[in-house]
Amino acid sequence: MKRSNLMAILTDVHLWVPVAVLILGITLLMTLR
Amino acid sequence: MSATVTSMPGRSTLSLHNLGVFCGLAAAVWLGTAEAPTKLVNAGFSPFVISLGMVMGAFVARWTVPMLLKGTGFVVSDLRDKPHLIVWAVLAGMLWAVANTLTIFAVRNVGLAIAFPLWNTNSLVGLFWGWLLFKELRGSGIKGWAKVLGGAFAIVGGAAVLALATAQQSSNTPGKAAIGIMAALGAGVLLGTMYIPYRKAYISGMNPLSFVTIFTFGELATVVILGAVFYGGVGHLTAELERARPMLFWPFLGGFCWVIGDLFQNFAAKYIGIGRGIPLSNTNQLWGLAWGALVFAELSGLNSTGKALVITGSLVMIAGAISISTASPVGTELTNWNHAMDRECDRYGLDADRVAAVVRGDDPLAGQPHQRRWWEVVVTCAAVGVFVWLAVGTESQHIFVNMPWLVILSLATLVPLGVCGTLLWRRTRFS
Repeated sequence: MKRSNLMAILTDVHLWVPVAVLILGITLLMTLR
Repeated sequence: MSATVTSMPGRSTLSLHNLGVFCGLAAAVWLGTAEAPTKLVNAGFSPFVISLGMVMGAFVARWTVPMLLKGTGFVVSDLRDKPHLIVWAVLAGMLWAVANTLTIFAVRNVGLAIAFPLWNTNSLVGLFWGWLLFKELRGSGIKGWAKVLGGAFAIVGGAAVLALATAQQSSNTPGKAAIGIMAALGAGVLLGTMYIPYRKAYISGMNPLSFVTIFTFGELATVVILGAVFYGGVGHLTAELERARPMLFWPFLGGFCWVIGDLFQNFAAKYIGIGRGIPLSNTNQLWGLAWGALVFAELSGLNSTGKALVITGSLVMIAGAISISTASPVGTELTNWNHAMDRECDRYGLDADRVAAVVRGDDPLAGQPHQRRWWEVVVTCAAVGVFVWLAVGTESQHIFVNMPWLVILSLATLVPLGVCGTLLWRRTRFS
C-alpha cells in the first residue's frame, strides 16, 4: 500500500468514528462481564 | 450517482431505488429466518455457543457464496483495486462480533422481547451516520425527511409494540435489567456504526461480495477471542463446542441464512444508502415473529390484548417500510451523494468514472466472464462437506415444530431469494 494511502486512512474520520465506538463497545462488554 | 439512471444495454431498466428496496425487504426475510436457530437456547444450550456456531456457518458461507457467484479472480481483483477498504471490512466484522456478544448479555438479562427493539434502534444510529458522514438525506426536503425518518421511527415503534406483545409470553425475565438494557443499547450503537464501513465501501465502488469475504475474518477472529476470554481459554471453548455437536448443524444453517440476508442488506445499503436500506432490513422482526408464532407456536397462549398488539405492531412496521420504500432520493440529495463519492475518489486516488459506473450498478467488469480456478471446486466441496458432516451427526432436539408451517415458510423464504437474485443479476450482474 502506498504511503499516501496509509496517511489518508489514518487521518480519515470514517476510520476513527468506528474505532472509537468499537473501543467503547469492548469496554462496555468487559464491564458487564 | 442516481436512483433512476438508465442501465447498460441488455440490462433490466429497473430503477436503483426499487432494486434497493427489494434487496432491503429480501434481507428482512432472510435475516428473520436466521433467527429460528436461536430457539435452541430453550433446549439448554449456551447462547454464546449458538452465536459462535452461526458465525462459523457464516464464515463458510461468506467464502463460498461470493466465490460461486463471481469467482475468486473477480474478488481478488476488486480488493487489489481498493486495498484500503480491507481495513474497514475487518473493522465492520469486529463491530458486529462485539455487538452480537452484547446482544447475548441483553437477551440473558431482559429477554429477547425487550432486547430486540432496543438494539433495533441501530437503524436510527445508521441513519444519523449516513446523514453526518455520507450526506444522505441532505437536500431531500421535508417530504423526504418525513418519509424516511417517520418510516424508521415507525419500524422501531412497531418493533417495540411487537416486543410488548411477546413479552406477555415470557414471564420469567431474569434480573439485572439495567445491565441488559445497557447491553442492548450498546449493541444498537455498534451495529448502527457498522454501517459506516458498509456505505464507505460501496460509494468507493467495492462489490458487496468482496466486502463480506474480508468482513468475515474480523468477525470470526473477534468472536473466537471473546469466546476464549469468556470461557477461560480456547480449550474450554472447544469443549463447549463439542458438547453442542449434536445441534451445531442448526446454527450453522442459521449462519448461512444470515449471510444471504446480509448480502441483500449490503446491496440495499449500496443502492439506497444506509438511511433507507437498514430500516427496511430491520423489518426482519416480522419474519422472526412469523417463525416463532407459526412454526414454534410461541404465541399459542396469547390473550386478545396480545393478539391486538401483534397485529398493531406488524401494521405499524409495514407502514414504516412502505413509507421508506416510496422515499426515492431526488435532485439535491443525489448531488450530495455524488459529493460523498467524490471525496473517496479524491482521498484514495480512485478512478472517478469507473467508481461512478460501479455505484450505479454498471461495473464494466461485472459482465465479463472470469476464469474459474480449480480451488473453487475444492472450497465448494469442503463447504458442502462441513454441512453434510454436521447434518449426519445431528440429534433431534426437544422443541415443538409445526411441520406444515415449517415447509410453507421455508418455501416462502425461497421466493424473495429467487426474485431479488434475478433482479440483481438482470440489472447489475451482481455488481
